[in-house]
Parts: sequence; structure tokens; C-alpha cells
Amino acid sequence: MTEPTIWVIIPAYNEGRVLADVIGELLDYNRSYHLVVIDDGSTDNTSLIARECAVHLLVHPMNLGQGAALATGIDYALRQRADIIVTFDADGQMRPADIGSLVDVVINEGVDVALGSRFLTAQPEKMPAIRKMVLKFATVFTRLTTGLKITDTHNGMRAFRADALRKFNITQNEMAHASEILSEITRNKLTYREVPVTIRYTEYSKGKGQSVSNAINILFELFSRGTK
Amino acid sequence: MITIKVILIVILLIILRAFLVQKSLILVKRAVAVLMFAGLLFLVLFPDVSTWAANRIGVGRGVDLLFYFAHLFFLLVAVSLWRRLITLTAAVTHLSREIAIKNAVRPEEGVKKSRPAED
Repeated sequence: MTEPTIWVIIPAYNEGRVLADVIGELLDYNRSYHLVVIDDGSTDNTSLIARECAVHLLVHPMNLGQGAALATGIDYALRQRADIIVTFDADGQMRPADIGSLVDVVINEGVDVALGSRFLTAQPEKMPAIRKMVLKFATVFTRLTTGLKITDTHNGMRAFRADALRKFNITQNEMAHASEILSEITRNKLTYREVPVTIRYTEYSKGKGQSVSNAINILFELFSRGTK
Repeated sequence: MITIKVILIVILLIILRAFLVQKSLILVKRAVAVLMFAGLLFLVLFPDVSTWAANRIGVGRGVDLLFYFAHLFFLLVAVSLWRRLITLTAAVTHLSREIAIKNAVRPEEGVKKSRPAED
């Protein structure tokens, strides 16, 4: 059997400042990864930076949201016959080494999805208290709505077996896609496992990340999904 | 009481005209619009009719009755516009996605330069 091809999907919206470093770090970790950067209608030099790196670059003609960007990258990677697809943030919060452990779980343990979790390690790195509270609430909410017993519902690092992803239907363009991905896992009866990952809360990423008040927006997006 | 009637009638006619000048509008929609505006004009000219109707169904004043119905009408408009917005967003997303994938720059096609110096 040939080595499975691993595709890393990196949605980027105005990440020109850090993107080159993030890509460089990924390639330093593993040169065989196929990187896909989706420029989600950025107004900065994100596309220019990505064009100079060894990545597949997809450019949304307008800003559609992180969920839409992920779905575009996944669609592309599936068309390129990816075997394993990993989602990764462009803001430098995630460690490339964690991709390795997620992919290992998918390959060696035969699960469909490996989900990164910040809360499986002893103590998450310097997480702001209010953020921790909101994430805890999201965990309880997810248990109630999807039945998934996971510790970290809004972790952007995930590894999927490609054939499992083909069954997915991601319709949430904005941030509610994280919950949507979880309900798709339940709906398609996929096997999953959580894997500890480390998130680095840098000043840059804190500014870029989800604001606490956005949790309310996510709830609203999820409720409006049911009315379609 | 005459002044307010004139104001309302003028505004109604302006809105009706803005609606009817659309060339693409089908005849049925034109007819419905004209009927609706005729009804509104009628109520402006003879407000007692709305009060009479309001009393029939247990509402005190004609304006109150119109207020309730206007509310419901705009809720309906909001919901239908919202639904259309969802459909449109899905279409735009689909189009953007196809455009992005069609114009994908592969790693070997990108501009190969030394990495820009970070400050």
C-alpha cells in the first residue's frame, strides 16, 4: 500500500502578518503534507504571501466566513484524491506537531475522525478564564444536541478520513460550522476520538480569535439552520 | 383631517409608482399591487370603514386594526426576505467555491521568491 496523502486545509482571512511563518513551520514539520490555503476574500496581502509559498492557493472572490472556506478547501482536497484531510488555523495558534498525533490516530486506530482537544492535557496554556467558561458551556450544549461526549467542541484542529468527509454536508458559512461538523459526525455515525493538542494563546491570536460575545451569534446561526 | 389624507395619498401613489415602473413585473403582480393600493387609498379616504370593521371583530379603533395587520404583514415580509437571503447566500457560496477551485494556484505555479523578510 502506498503512503496515504495528507492534505492540510488552512482557511485564512487577513492573516498576511503570520501566514508565511505558519506555512514555514508546517513544511518544516513535514514536507510531504499538501497544504491548501483558502484566502477568504482578505483585504490584506494574504494571497500574495500564500502565492510565494509551496501551497495550493484558493481565493474566494468575497468574504464568506470560516465555515465556507473550510468547505471549499475540503471540496478541493477531495477532488485531488486526498486520503486524510486535516483542518488547521492560519493564525499560528496550533502546533504542526499535533497534526502528526491526530493523523496517527486516524491511520493506526482506524477511526474516521480525530478531534483535537485543549482540555485533555493537564492544563491548557494560559487560557483566559471567560473563554474557558464559554467553551465549557459549548461542551454541555453539544452533549445535549449531538450526543457527542467530547471535551472541546470548538477546536479547529481535526483529521478526517477522506471517505468519511465525502458524506459531510457543511452549510454553515460562519462560525457555527464547528458545531455542524460535530452533528455531521453523529448523523453519519462516524467513529471519532479526541486527541490532546496544545493551543498557543499569543497576543496576535487572542485578537483574531472568537470573541466571547460571538458565542451568542453561533447559537443564533445554529437555530436558524433548523428553519431552512 | 384633510392634510394627513393628502400626505398619505401622495406617499401611497409615489410608492405604487416606484413599484409599477419595474418593467420585469408580471401582470398578476401589477394587478395585486394596484388592488392593494386601491384598498389603502379607500381606507385613507373613508377611515370610518376601518373603525366599523374593527368593532366587528372586537378591536376599538380602525387604526389599531390596521396597526396589527401592518405588523403581521411586515413580519411576513421579513421572514420571506430572510429565506430568500439564505437561498442567495447558498448560491453565492457555491459560485465562489467553484470559482476558487477553478482558479486554484498549485504549489509549482506560485511565484517562487525567497520568503519575504519578516520585521
